[in-house]
Amino acid sequence: MTPTDLLSALPRLIAGAGMTLLIVVVAVGGGVLFGLPLGVLSFLNPPSRLLRLLLWLFDKLFRGFPALVLLFLIYFGLGSLPAVTISPFAAVALALGLRSAAYQAQLFRSALGMVHRTQVEAARALGLSQPRTLIYILLPQALRFSLPGLANEYSAVLKDSALAFTVGVVELMSRGKFLSMATRDTTTTYLLVAAIYWLLTQLGISLFRLIEHHRRIPGLGSSRIAGSRGNGGG
Amino acid sequence: MGFFIEMLPELARGLLITLKLIACSAPLGLMIGFAVAAARSYGPRPLRAAARAYQSALRGVPLLVQLFLLYYALPRLGIVLSPFAAAVCGFSLCGGAYHSEYIRSALQSIPTAQMEAARALGMRRSRAVWHVILPQAARCSIGGCGNEIVSLVKYSSLAYLVTLVDLTGAGKLIAYRSFRFFETFLIVGLIYLALVALTSAGFRLVERRANPNHDSDPQRSWRCRTVAALAPSVPMARPGKDTN
Repeated sequence: MTPTDLLSALPRLIAGAGMTLLIVVVAVGGGVLFGLPLGVLSFLNPPSRLLRLLLWLFDKLFRGFPALVLLFLIYFGLGSLPAVTISPFAAVALALGLRSAAYQAQLFRSALGMVHRTQVEAARALGLSQPRTLIYILLPQALRFSLPGLANEYSAVLKDSALAFTVGVVELMSRGKFLSMATRDTTTTYLLVAAIYWLLTQLGISLFRLIEHHRRIPGLGSSRIAGSRGNGGG
Repeated sequence: MGFFIEMLPELARGLLITLKLIACSAPLGLMIGFAVAAARSYGPRPLRAAARAYQSALRGVPLLVQLFLLYYALPRLGIVLSPFAAAVCGFSLCGGAYHSEYIRSALQSIPTAQMEAARALGMRRSRAVWHVILPQAARCSIGGCGNEIVSLVKYSSLAYLVTLVDLTGAGKLIAYRSFRFFETFLIVGLIYLALVALTSAGFRLVERRANPNHDSDPQRSWRCRTVAALAPSVPMARPGKDTN
């Protein structure tokens, strides 16, 4: 690939990166939306056995399946059922979002567990109701504790989003694939794609660090909660 | 029901490939992980920088892109890998980067006084690392590395995208032939789930065996728990014993 080829290819790759980011924002955002209530619920350890079973099933199904198999199950599996039509983007958002929700539920549950029990006792003794204790005492601390884990979640989902090309979403990976077929220069193309992914990972993580720094409470333990998963692409 | 019995042999063949992939990649990944962790902890400065760059590059880029580089880009440079070899290389190189973080934080959790004592007794640094530091650090990194191998079970499904007919690939072939997408992928997913459950149960057992007095030795149990917190940049390990 000549430098001019490269320059003309760049806008298309950047458009792909935009799509990738859209997938990540939808999936991680949806993950927070579902994962936070689920995390609170499993932290409270509901007495209902059925509810606990459902939480367990959700966790096993969405964390135990490989992302690729989950995506195929939703796009090809659900999509093949009569009366269900699902767009590639919706399938990817659903698969990655639900998966992220399951991971984030674990993350929030352990973050809530990091707030010392005596604080809950003190709040209850001062007359705060249980929901108020949750909203004013537990969550403000737990959310801060979970920020590093969320950064990790962002980078994991970003990397998983490369799977979207298998169902035909035109994001960074598929733009790279088209480009490599057009130029027949797989080496440069995929190195370029890798560099863009790397940049997105680093940028996102720095952004989360910035938020973490901005929202920190002086004196509140800087104990960083461990993140939710090691490798992406699982 | 007949459909499931019919597809069983084909799935079993795919499963065998998946198991082979895991069996080859997991030990290789651990070895790379240890080498990189040792380079980052004890190496001279340029080696440390190289190890850092390795970790950052392999953890910042999707595994899929790495596999495509290995399988589609390397042939242009004259290196042709079979799908199986490309998958094993990709999994162990990428897994090694993650393992190295767990191993490194475990290495650093051992008090430096131990290294000083070993040196004072006349051990070479490499000997001290191998005989004094590593046996303790290895016990602490079982949790993190075990988690990573559990995710290897799941991300081994990416091998299908470099044309290897593993469990996922077999599932896809069956689904396309029979048009029963939902059932097939559900079965495939459940097989992966069973593998994940088995692997994580196995590692929990190993962890308990390797740390027999884990709870009665407060210092060590504290150290192992802080290993996760020590892991820099993106923290990775979970605090509890729960695996994927």
